[in-house]
Amino acid sequence: MSKTKHIFAVLILSLLGITLLVSLSKLPNQFEYANSIYHHVVNNSITETGSLNFVTAILYDYRAYDSLGESTIIFGAVSGIVLLLSRKTLPVSSHGLSFIVKRTFGMLTPFIFLFGIYIITHGHLSPGGGFQGGVILGAISIIFSIVYGSEFDYKRYSPTTKTLLETSGALLFIGLGFMGILLGGNFLMNLNILNAEVGSLLSAGSIPFINIGIGFKIGAGLAIIFYSMIQKTFKEEVDL
Amino acid sequence: MINNFVFVVLFLLGFYAILVKKNLIKMVIGLNIMEGSIFFWFITLTDRGKMIPIVNGTQVASQLNDPVPQALILTGIVIGASTSAFLLTLIIELDKFTSSTNPDQIGGMIED
Repeated sequence: MSKTKHIFAVLILSLLGITLLVSLSKLPNQFEYANSIYHHVVNNSITETGSLNFVTAILYDYRAYDSLGESTIIFGAVSGIVLLLSRKTLPVSSHGLSFIVKRTFGMLTPFIFLFGIYIITHGHLSPGGGFQGGVILGAISIIFSIVYGSEFDYKRYSPTTKTLLETSGALLFIGLGFMGILLGGNFLMNLNILNAEVGSLLSAGSIPFINIGIGFKIGAGLAIIFYSMIQKTFKEEVDL
Repeated sequence: MINNFVFVVLFLLGFYAILVKKNLIKMVIGLNIMEGSIFFWFITLTDRGKMIPIVNGTQVASQLNDPVPQALILTGIVIGASTSAFLLTLIIELDKFTSSTNPDQIGGMIED
């Protein structure tokens, strides 16, 4: 039974593969960029947004509405996960690792935090941005849970703090969007709050603020997901 | 040419996992491989063999790659991560109630 199903699957997959290869080989190697949005972005992006990183300029200025939807999807995923895996008791995933690991991460964690903040705030100048830096910030909660034990994570960085950070990040993003309407423009338009010289940290209008909002939102969201997913893998009476 | 071939191989690998594997977590991994193959294909398709779209004053605009597909794929990666987290949560809950991650067994349990 399983054998015939296996052969049938391989047959379907090889047919699909041949079809895909034949149809993809008919595509042109280089697309014509004559009427592409590429020219507008590459030529006018610096004067319009002040961001040296064009991907950031697209994500948080031209298509900021789309990034809002994206962070709403993450919010939905976090809400669903918390709803499904809600619990009253504190999860115990680990009682912490050895003294050497604890000391090492005690020295490393501030620098990991600094690196995450750097990636977030320099999103308009260098590779990175809110999403990438937020993932680094979310890793700190995972380090707390694994290296120091989940009780430490619960005390130092409680679920209430995580929720507060996530909602404040989302509110910063939406608030900047509504500020655009209040100042007589469009929703999520680039407010010229930071208008220093292009290439400096305090430039690119409201893009750094959106980056900070998204960064805290993603970091806290990932920490909430991890906190909800850890299960009881140790017995309570085990003393390490 | 080579990017089409690698895309098709990775896509079929992920699709194979979804069709054949008897473990829901392996099926989610297959879904992630399919996602990754599409991201890879889209990025290589729109790659013009030039520099990354970040300027520091010395580059000219005509030397840069297209930033629009990269922004699109960044969106896709984030959404893929959140959907797979949600799928894994559903699998954890299913495992709690049925103590199985085999879709055939779970289907039999629900009919009872």
